[in-house]
This record gives sequence, C-alpha cells and structure tokens, in this order.
Amino acid sequence: MFAYFAPPNFIDNLLLKLFSPETVNYVVWPFIQIGAVVTAIAVYALYATYAERKISAFMQARLGPMRVGPWGLLQPLADAIKLLTKEDLVPDKADIYTFKFAPFISVAAAFIVFAVIPFAPDWGIITDVNIGLLFVLSISSVGVLALILAGWSSNSKYALMGALRSSAQMVSYEVSMGLSLIGALMFARTLSLSGVVSAQQSDAVWFVFYQPIGLLTFLISGIAENNRAPFDLPEAESELVAGFHTEYSGMRWSLFFMAEYAAMVVVSAIATTLYLGGWYFPGVFRLTEAQGYHTLYVIISLVVFLAKLTFLLYLYFWLRWTLPRFRYDQLMDIGWKWLIPTALVNIVMTAIAIFTVQAVDGWRGLKTIDRLLPSLNLTGTGKAIMIAFGIVGILITAGVLSTINWRARDFNLKKQRRNIRLVNLPKGKPAVAPATTEKA
Amino acid sequence: MPLVNVPKPAFMEKLKRFFMVDLLKGLRVTLKYNVGAITDKDAVAGHGIYTEQYPKVRPEVAPRFHGAPRLNMDPETHETLCIACNLCALACPEDCIDVLAMDIEITVAGKARRKKVLDEFIFDTSRCMFCALCQEACPTACLELTQEFELATYSRAGFVWNREMLEQGRETVKYEA
Repeated sequence: MFAYFAPPNFIDNLLLKLFSPETVNYVVWPFIQIGAVVTAIAVYALYATYAERKISAFMQARLGPMRVGPWGLLQPLADAIKLLTKEDLVPDKADIYTFKFAPFISVAAAFIVFAVIPFAPDWGIITDVNIGLLFVLSISSVGVLALILAGWSSNSKYALMGALRSSAQMVSYEVSMGLSLIGALMFARTLSLSGVVSAQQSDAVWFVFYQPIGLLTFLISGIAENNRAPFDLPEAESELVAGFHTEYSGMRWSLFFMAEYAAMVVVSAIATTLYLGGWYFPGVFRLTEAQGYHTLYVIISLVVFLAKLTFLLYLYFWLRWTLPRFRYDQLMDIGWKWLIPTALVNIVMTAIAIFTVQAVDGWRGLKTIDRLLPSLNLTGTGKAIMIAFGIVGILITAGVLSTINWRARDFNLKKQRRNIRLVNLPKGKPAVAPATTEKA
Repeated sequence: MPLVNVPKPAFMEKLKRFFMVDLLKGLRVTLKYNVGAITDKDAVAGHGIYTEQYPKVRPEVAPRFHGAPRLNMDPETHETLCIACNLCALACPEDCIDVLAMDIEITVAGKARRKKVLDEFIFDTSRCMFCALCQEACPTACLELTQEFELATYSRAGFVWNREMLEQGRETVKYEA
C-alpha cells in the first residue's frame, strides 16, 4: 500500500538513465524542487488571498466570494486572469525602467527565501545553507529596496510617502526581528534552518516552550515587517490611497500583491521552523520512519509543516481583522521602545538560563544536559528548568518594559509632557499653563 | 490649555497591558464570529452569516410588506372578482388607478338586463406609494398588494400595469439556488 508513496525513487531511476548521478543530484533534482516549490507557493499565496477574503467575511458575518466556482473557490484564478489581462499603466514622468523593474525585485526577494526553508526532511529541503537564517534576513531586507524603488519611481506623493513609511518601518522592525531570533539559535547552535529543526527533533521539544517571548517578539516584528495590519501604515487606505503601489496596475500590481502574501508565508515559515518545530511532530518519526516508511514520513512531515504554517497565517488574518491601525508614532514606539528591549532582555535571560543549566549540570548528581554537540540537548530536568526560566522571563520582561516605558502614554509630545508635570503643583495656586510661544 | 492628568497605571493595569488582555478579548470576539459563521450558529441573533444570496435565494419580506398589485380572480370560475365599483380609484391618494367599466347585456330570469363589468384596469406603479388604501377599499377582496417586490423595468411605460399584467403577474427572471 505504501509503495504508492514512493514516486521520487521511480523518477530518480528514470533520471539516472538520462543523466550522470552528479547531474541528477545537483542540477535536475534541485530544479524539480524549485519548480515544485515556486508553483506550490504561488498557488498557496493565491489561495491565501482567498482565505483572507473568506475569513474576513466570516469575522464580519458575511459570506465572502461565492460566485466563481463552488464557494467561490475559483475566485483567485479569475482574479489572476483579470489582473494579467489588464492594461499596464505607467504614470506620466515616472522613472519608467525602475518603475517596471521594482515589482520583480519584490517578488524575487520574497521567493528566493524559500530556497533555504526546510519543508520536510530528505527531499523536502532544496538546499541546506549553513548560514540559512542570515540569508533569510538579508534577502528580506532586499524587499525594502523594491518598495523604495516603487515609491520613488512612481512620481506620486502617496507612493513616495508610503515608501518612506515602509522603509522606516521595515528598517526599525528588522532590528528586533533579528535580535529575537538569537534566543532560539542559542539552543540550536547553528544558523542552518534544517539544523534548527533537527535540534528540536533530537530534543523532542518545540523551542516555543523555551522561548515564548522570542516567538511573540518575532511574530510582532514579522507582521510589522510585512506591512500587515495593524502595522499597515505604508498602505494605509484612508491616508495614502494604497501606499507604494498606488500607481501600479494589472500584472505589476498583482506581483506586489503576490510578494506581500509570499512574504507573509516566509515569516510564518521561519517562525514555524524556529519556534514551532518545523516539520517535527512528536510520534511521527517513531510511527513511520522507524518502521521503514520513508516517503510516508516525508509526506506527513510536509503536512505537519503546512498545518503549522497555515495556523500562523490564520493568526495574521485574525489579527488584521481584530485590530485597528496604529498611529505612526505609536508604530515607532512599539518598534524601538518595546520590541527591541524585549528582544534584548530575551537574549540576556536565555543566556542566563543556559548558563544556569550548564552550571547546575553535575551538581549533586543533577543531570541537565544530555549532550552539547551539535545542538544543546537537555534532559527532563534541564527542560523543566528552561521552561521555568521562560515563564519567569515573561514576568521579568514585563517589569523591564514597564520601567522603561512608564510614560508611554505621553505620546512623546514635548508640550504635553510639560503640562503633565504641571499637574503636581502645590495646592492653593491655580495651575496656569505657560504662555504659548508658538506665534513668535 | 487644559491640563492632562495621566494617572500612573496600577500594577494590575500594567500586567493587563503587558499580557495584552484587551487584544485577547478582541481576538476572542472575532474568533467567535468566525466559528459562528462556519457553523452558521449564533453569533448575535441566531444567524452566523447575514448575507443574502439575493437572486439565487429570495429574501423573506415582512408579513405586512406591500408590493406589486394583483387583481384576484375567482378560484373556481376564473373570472375576475372586480365589480368595477371604482372605490379603489376613489380611495387612491395618488390617483394612480383607472377603472374602465363597460356595460354588457345579460339575461336574468328571462329579462334582458345591463350589467356593469370591468373592461380595463390601469395601475400606475410608478406613482403608487404602496399605502394599500385601495386594498382596504375593495369590497370583493379583488385588488391586493402582494409580497412581490421586483418592480423595476427598462422604461417608464413599463411601470403602468394593465389588466392582463395585474391578473397574470409580470414575468421576472427566476434564478435557481
């Protein structure tokens, strides 16, 4: 029965008749994988738009798309056809070549990242780069370039404002995004994404239990990085029409749209890989691989990965249709005054936790570390200590943040702050606001 | 310039803010609606989804809704119930009804008699305000404003309904669910 789940071997044999083994392993298979992943992600992103429309409709007691196909299931395809056949407008006095090129950078930056993401073990990995995470972060920074180019070359004030906002936002949230990853990497002791997953597998725990703060910080910065609501300042409809893609139409606009959803999938995939165990799910290995069903193991792992990915994507939609948009200064506040301190506290706390676990190891017969190489494998006691540190870390982070931001409600306006100080004047004297010198 | 007194948040308030309790409450509300929509239960008053699939599924109008006019016929003889008494036309505040009667010769108990019967009935739905005073005035329960609400036409002349339309009803395109 399970022979059905072994098509790769069959294809492998076929390919080996045509090419040499090296060509098959390093050229043909990667190309097949790339084609499969690009197609799958494109379809996934396409249907993410459908899911978003449906979920938003359900959350507002509506039905959503219903007309094209059963339950509107063919709506994304109809949209794609419509967008591809629309006129490709270029605004007057736009920087034509930059304008036309920017969407491709955006899409490429979103799609290249999938090269290093481990979707499943064995043939579910396209390439295992040992600096995978750095690669992901650097490529996702390139995405900002596309937005800036698009906004600048459109020769439109809305597009330019949107691009400015998005670049400021993405630059500031990238800091906390990068910092929040370090905690998880301390356990994995590698930057390779497959390495991170296998670290969680050999430890039989998802890093979210060690790193609740890390996951939260990463998700919030990831949502902000993707310019999604509630951080969708760059494309705030009520202020900026559509932000950086105001002047785009037809296919190029749909490329931006595609890139946005692909970037969401990227962030969800990295969060899954780092914190939710990637394709690892307890018991799957024991039930399939250990009993000889290798291909079944890979396919079930793939399904597990996609399920986690879809859950995080649902979280995106859920947040979008729950929260209103932040004000611009609040956005910057959250980035610099809340998320970066959180990420830093998380790093310190994780370092202290790991140090404690290492120090306690061997103390009065207490064994906390199973083995250290290649990843940090903890015994049951060690895991308990680490999870306790994670929970205590939440409270400590809360304390630190409230100490730093005890005046976060002042909105950072100098004038207002001066008046607030005046409230504590001695009694008996009327509190008089200082004469305004604005007119001078 | 008013003075702004920003109270220092209490400890519980700070905890609530840090753990984003309000956000979680909001997420609960949206999730409730989402689940309600999928199961088509609750979320507010029995429905999960309020959207009407109009041309496919016709909405239920209120029981007292007044729509397109109709001239009822005797269910056995299939002759009109209208006795051309003109009461509806008199009752109409908009003056949109014209009852045209004619005399016919009939024989009652061997004697030749003349009887006033309905010839043509003109009902201008473009001027009608659906007050149903005509329906109230009708002594034979002939003229009735039905629950039919699809009254749009492509021309002004189409709003003027003659006797045939009033008796048979106007043809509208029906969509299948």
